[in-house]
Amino acid sequence: MATTTVLTTESPDRWKYLNNILTRKGPYSDETFEPGDEPKAFLADLKILVIGAGGLGCEILKNLALSGFKDIHVIDMDTIDISNLNRQFLFREADVGKSKAEVAAAFVMKRVRGVKITPFNCAIQDKDDDYYKQFKIVVCGLDSVEARRWINATLVNLVGEETLIPLIDGGTEGFKGQARVILPTISCCYECTLDMLTPRAAVPLCTLASIPRQPAHCIEWASVIQWPKERGDLKIDMDDPEHVTWLYTKALGRAKEFNIPGVTYAMTQGVIKNIIPAIASTNAIVAASCCNEALKIATTASPYLDNYMMYTGDDSVYTFTFQHEKKEDCPVCGNLPQALTVDPESTLEKLMEKLQERPETTLKKPSLRTSSKSLYLQAPKQLEEQTRPNLEKQLKELMEEGDELSISDPGMPFNLRFIISFS
Amino acid sequence: MSIPGAPTAKEKKYDRQLRLWGAGGQEALETAHILLINATAAGSETLKNLVLPGIGRFTIIDDAAVTDEDLGTNFFLDDDSIGLPRAQKACELLCELNPEVQGNFINDTIQNVLKSNPEKLKDFTTVIATGDIPTATLLSLDSILYPLGIPLFIVKCVGFTMSCRLVISEHPMVETHPASTVDLRLFNPFPELSALVDEKASSMDDKSKMTDHQHGHLPYVLVLLQTLNEWKSTHDGQPPSNYSQKNEFKSLLRSKMWNADEENFEEAIAAVLPHFNAPSIPSETRAIFQDEKCTSLTKESTSFWIIARAIKEFSEKNGGLLPLPGALPDMKAESKDYITLQNIYKSKARADLAIVVNIVRSLLAELGRDSEEIAESEVETFCKHAGYAKLIRGRSLSEEYEKSPRAQAISSDLSDSTALIHYYLGLRAYEAFISDDNNTQHIAPGAEDSTVDADTEKLNKHVTELLDKLSITHSPELLEGTEKAIGEIVRAGGGELHNIASLAGGIVAQEIIKVITKQYIPMNNTVIFDGISSRTHVYQL
Repeated sequence: MATTTVLTTESPDRWKYLNNILTRKGPYSDETFEPGDEPKAFLADLKILVIGAGGLGCEILKNLALSGFKDIHVIDMDTIDISNLNRQFLFREADVGKSKAEVAAAFVMKRVRGVKITPFNCAIQDKDDDYYKQFKIVVCGLDSVEARRWINATLVNLVGEETLIPLIDGGTEGFKGQARVILPTISCCYECTLDMLTPRAAVPLCTLASIPRQPAHCIEWASVIQWPKERGDLKIDMDDPEHVTWLYTKALGRAKEFNIPGVTYAMTQGVIKNIIPAIASTNAIVAASCCNEALKIATTASPYLDNYMMYTGDDSVYTFTFQHEKKEDCPVCGNLPQALTVDPESTLEKLMEKLQERPETTLKKPSLRTSSKSLYLQAPKQLEEQTRPNLEKQLKELMEEGDELSISDPGMPFNLRFIISFS
Repeated sequence: MSIPGAPTAKEKKYDRQLRLWGAGGQEALETAHILLINATAAGSETLKNLVLPGIGRFTIIDDAAVTDEDLGTNFFLDDDSIGLPRAQKACELLCELNPEVQGNFINDTIQNVLKSNPEKLKDFTTVIATGDIPTATLLSLDSILYPLGIPLFIVKCVGFTMSCRLVISEHPMVETHPASTVDLRLFNPFPELSALVDEKASSMDDKSKMTDHQHGHLPYVLVLLQTLNEWKSTHDGQPPSNYSQKNEFKSLLRSKMWNADEENFEEAIAAVLPHFNAPSIPSETRAIFQDEKCTSLTKESTSFWIIARAIKEFSEKNGGLLPLPGALPDMKAESKDYITLQNIYKSKARADLAIVVNIVRSLLAELGRDSEEIAESEVETFCKHAGYAKLIRGRSLSEEYEKSPRAQAISSDLSDSTALIHYYLGLRAYEAFISDDNNTQHIAPGAEDSTVDADTEKLNKHVTELLDKLSITHSPELLEGTEKAIGEIVRAGGGELHNIASLAGGIVAQEIIKVITKQYIPMNNTVIFDGISSRTHVYQL
């Protein structure tokens, strides 16, 4: 294969197969799809953002680069850990400790010529609206509910005359996963489906403190009760082997005292870090599905997912593809406040505890207001002190039926709105 | 610094997967040797997903040289690879992913290997066939691998469509990972359990004999069993059998609460519907017991069949009960009461296991084999999963294609134009097209813009020929979906789209992991994915 000229750009054959799809109309293609050079050029110019450079993120970057996207940004604040290497295939042992976004971007750019990937080693919250506005599509491969809620709300808030940025979101657990397409304000958003998450069953404190029965109870006792007692204000660092070993040893001692079998080091890590099993193949399925949707949305070469695919691989292969309904009272994309029934005799503090039990109201530092007054504000300090006495008051002293209760949280770029009724 | 129980370097690296398939599954992966035929994008992605979790070895057979087109779909080839053997370059770049995995390559066609050294196939644990392989070659592979019991995965990936056919003769699974293996034996408590009920719960209605605290901490299993005793005494010794009786029983439980917030009673009430079932052997387990391999053991029988037979004999002597798994869910209770109860179930499970182990030992002796050759731990795993074990009896490719095609499975979905069977037919037509004697270069349909229309025509004709051969009646209306599927397949011109290839690699790798570890449940036997509607369907063909 002798070539007489040095190729400065890639060979026209490189994208032959992708081009087949872009230059030929398919039986299912949208009527507006104009096959030819236009979708190719559009794809090359389109700016796309990838959030997360972990298990899904590595796959997503590879897939987008091999789908003809040329201008990709990636954000991830994490560094590479040894336990990432069984699936995050852009990283090697020598990379442990380095920025995921930077190593992943450099690897894909080296392997796939002609793609530009701009990495950011930071939190998504560090970027402002103007930054997010430059993208035509956002693809998310995250393991955090909080980060997903944040980017979802941010993209919904950005919707305007000229801006509507589709959000494609993937998630996995073991042999299962899901991929979904969110068209902010048009189709159901991440917040609309938050009640699908099953909250982690909390073990009552009295079980941990006095009647443990399971190895997990001993481990939680060590981290929730014994750690603060013996190590004071020091925060537990899940990645510090000394901390994990301390907890493991304590849990083991407790288990021995109560004749409870089964405490292991791996279980200790699993319980305190809430580790979710993760494998390369499931990441591959979910990331590929997300990027397939990105390609279809970017080029209109074929209809895209409307709007949710669930994959289950532990018993045969099963997918459930369906349209999740948009919620009219979604606090992010809906117009209506949600209904909330409260016990008028109960206190504001109790209400706040109750809210913590629901996935959609699990917040770090919630502040509560009605339209006429501030009930409890976390900051600034003076206002916190001023409103603190309200915590012990009964709800009937603070609000009336039909009042709108608004909850804000520094972690959330939106307010939750509730119409109160008394039980 | 070494802490007893702390993970080794390898356990750290594989932590997230060991939580799924454990050390036993990992061991199976590490001793496996995978053959990939053709380093296509789908094939390379499949290997990536097996190299990362630490498969033992892989070999790639491929005679192609790397082209520019390959670089547009396959991440495990780079610019420096162009013109070099594809088997070699893909092998090199895949090996970079995990230093513990050994990769080999053979720069030749599978046809030549089959001709010169068919014995070679015996080296492999699993074979993956990808790319444009003609039907005759697939059937040759099938005829060698199927009798040997070596699973063959045939993967097709064209445009937005992929399919995977698992050809496997027999696949027994013990660790299917059910959500729970709890069997509380509520309807047939063993003596030790009944004795504990008498000791701890017989006076649960008597406020003079129990404090509120004791009453509120009585494990719900004992509450249920004690209340069942009472119920049976007024119902001819029978437990609640239908829905309304179960509701009546729940009301009875509620009436026994001393306080409105007794969690243990709430737990008892919630357990009525899921746990009040007459004991029976699940149909999957029964099928294993009735299988000829179970009823007539031979000198060559695998441990699965010998243990299955031992458990069958155990259940026959134990009123149709399987060995007790021994698991107990968490429940509101004092620590020591819970542990006592847990130990009662565990002791019973151990006693059942001991009996099964004895049967296994004598079966082995009767067969003239070493009576100790099956480890007790293997018998224990089976006993814990006896009600959840499963057997897949597969079908060979020659059965599907020639000897006994399942026309019914195809025809029943044909009238639904959105069914994925249309893609199956489209891909069969694709295979017929590249297998055509006149197409010696195996050129794909739609390879050139100029041939799209003629090739579409040919594929449609292949489908009608196939349906005629299967005696399936068809009409243009019935084939509306197939025509569209063919339109999509020809559109792709025989090319892989990276996303679909990557997704195929994920699905196939999951299935291979399940087959090699003999854990979880693989699909049987053909999965089709359509990337336009993002749906899969499994057909048994």
